Amino acid sequence: MPIKTTNKTIFFTRLSLVLQKIEDSILVSLLLIMIFMAVLQIFLRNFFDSGIVWSDPLVRVLVLWIGLIGAMAASRTDNHINIDIISRFLPPHIKRFTTLVVHVFTAIITAVMAWVSLRFVGMEMADNIIAFGFIPAWVCEIIIPIAFAVISVRYTSFSINHLIQLFSPRP
Amino acid sequence: MIYLFIGILILIALLGAPLFTIIIAGAMAGFYTSDIDLSVMAIELYRIADTPILLALPLFTFAGYLLGESQTSQRLVRLTQVFLGWMPGGLAIVAFVVCALFTAFTGASGVTIVAMGALLYPALQQAGYQDNFSLGLVTTSGSLGLLLPPSLPLILYGIIAQQMSSGVQISIEELFIAGIFPAILMIVMLSLWSIWTNKKNPIPRTKFSRKKAFQAIKDSAWEIPLPFFVFAGIYSGYFAVSEAAAVTAMYVLVVEIFIYKEIKLSQLASIIRESMIMVGGILLILGVSLAFTNFLIDAEAPMKLFALCQTFVTNKLVFLILLNIFLLILGAMLDIFSAIIIMVPLMLPVALEYGIHPVHLGIIFLANMQIGYFTPPVGMNLFIAGYRFNKPIVEIYRATIPFMLVLLAAVLIITYWPGLSLFLIS
Repeated sequence: MPIKTTNKTIFFTRLSLVLQKIEDSILVSLLLIMIFMAVLQIFLRNFFDSGIVWSDPLVRVLVLWIGLIGAMAASRTDNHINIDIISRFLPPHIKRFTTLVVHVFTAIITAVMAWVSLRFVGMEMADNIIAFGFIPAWVCEIIIPIAFAVISVRYTSFSINHLIQLFSPRP
Repeated sequence: MIYLFIGILILIALLGAPLFTIIIAGAMAGFYTSDIDLSVMAIELYRIADTPILLALPLFTFAGYLLGESQTSQRLVRLTQVFLGWMPGGLAIVAFVVCALFTAFTGASGVTIVAMGALLYPALQQAGYQDNFSLGLVTTSGSLGLLLPPSLPLILYGIIAQQMSSGVQISIEELFIAGIFPAILMIVMLSLWSIWTNKKNPIPRTKFSRKKAFQAIKDSAWEIPLPFFVFAGIYSGYFAVSEAAAVTAMYVLVVEIFIYKEIKLSQLASIIRESMIMVGGILLILGVSLAFTNFLIDAEAPMKLFALCQTFVTNKLVFLILLNIFLLILGAMLDIFSAIIIMVPLMLPVALEYGIHPVHLGIIFLANMQIGYFTPPVGMNLFIAGYRFNKPIVEIYRATIPFMLVLLAAVLIITYWPGLSLFLIS
């Protein structure tokens, strides 16, 4: 189905490609840092009887970040864990509608989640809560609203594409 | 009104909405009606960063994906073939053992069927096994080994059970020990059945050759120590489970990239991305479920569920039978990680009331889930095998059913003989 490619759509495609590259490189660096920090900690403890104080909390926060960025990456291709029983057997013309419903639902829920977690991060920021060392808690938590916002944007764009396809005349 | 809402949520879930959105919607609705500020969702999600053991999840997953992408599967088959191939039913037994070991490290995410099946299916046919038998074997073996450490579902069950803090201490090390004998039972029963069913179809055995054995050991020299130092490290107390995961990830990374040189640095980014997409999916569901579970516990849902069960089932044995049936259906419908995250918080308190050991419950849970992977009509591995070997799904159903019956028998033994799982745990 030919969709008019305007300068705008090209811009958005580029933008999403750049975003994907950024996600990928953050994932790679965070995971490698995580492995390195965790192994270093074992090494220091067993051979030098010491350790880095902020290493453990850092690695735990990294788990959260990696998980949420992984979840962002999963929404690129709508690759989240779901129950795939009915949709597998639906005829294509009905499936187009159910997919639209599912994507709109996902976009709304993740948007709400982004909003309530942003409020939570705001409260933590106002209270000057410290996570570990000199790192404020909101810095560690900020990934929660970001991740849900990105997921919401992706599902919104899926939904818009579905709508365009549903209403565009078939060839 | 409430029931309408629940009904709509279930419908949207069945239509294929991401499971985490369904849980968020349910939890938010619950908190909203109890006048609790919704920012509690973010607070609960942040608990992921307060759970040290979760570190094991991304690290073991990453190591598993690396092993899946390298030639480990081929070396493992060659190695096992040399040492077990001389036995009657040799190659079939080789296949079971290899798949179980591989799945324990890679997680039952279909990697086993894709990587191992591609080697074993043609090898089995070449050796003279019938097509149907070979197909059923590789499909079934795709989830064999879930009970062996360090499988992710085992770890996840332990994490969830620990979060429950229902007065019972349960350690992941205990789960690791408990799974070993049930897993061996499954492999032995499947092997015996393979020998018996092929008794009219004599398969030539391969002779043990010292030269080949030496070569196979030499080829796998860097990978053979892997299971040993993971277990030795954990059980000697040298490192915790999450640290074992870190060491494994680092070791596999170095070995596959710099020693075997089978994974190029340029591939690394996509392997990391793919593995972390899986981790992200699991962690997200886990994080939002922490909120939902808290709500359920506040609402005393497990106690109400137990009271409800009590009116129908007073007997532990009957409860176990119902549990088996329920878990089999669940395992066919839901992927193993979401099933654990969502069902264990509800099920564990009820099972405890019936006097079932939490470690034993974990083994029962996973053993049933393992069969769910290839329970017709919707078990995930059936589709993966159909796709991978280019066979109609009905043919896969037919090929798998005999293996499924054998494993069902094994699950019954595991369920009604707690000692098999528990005798090494004081």
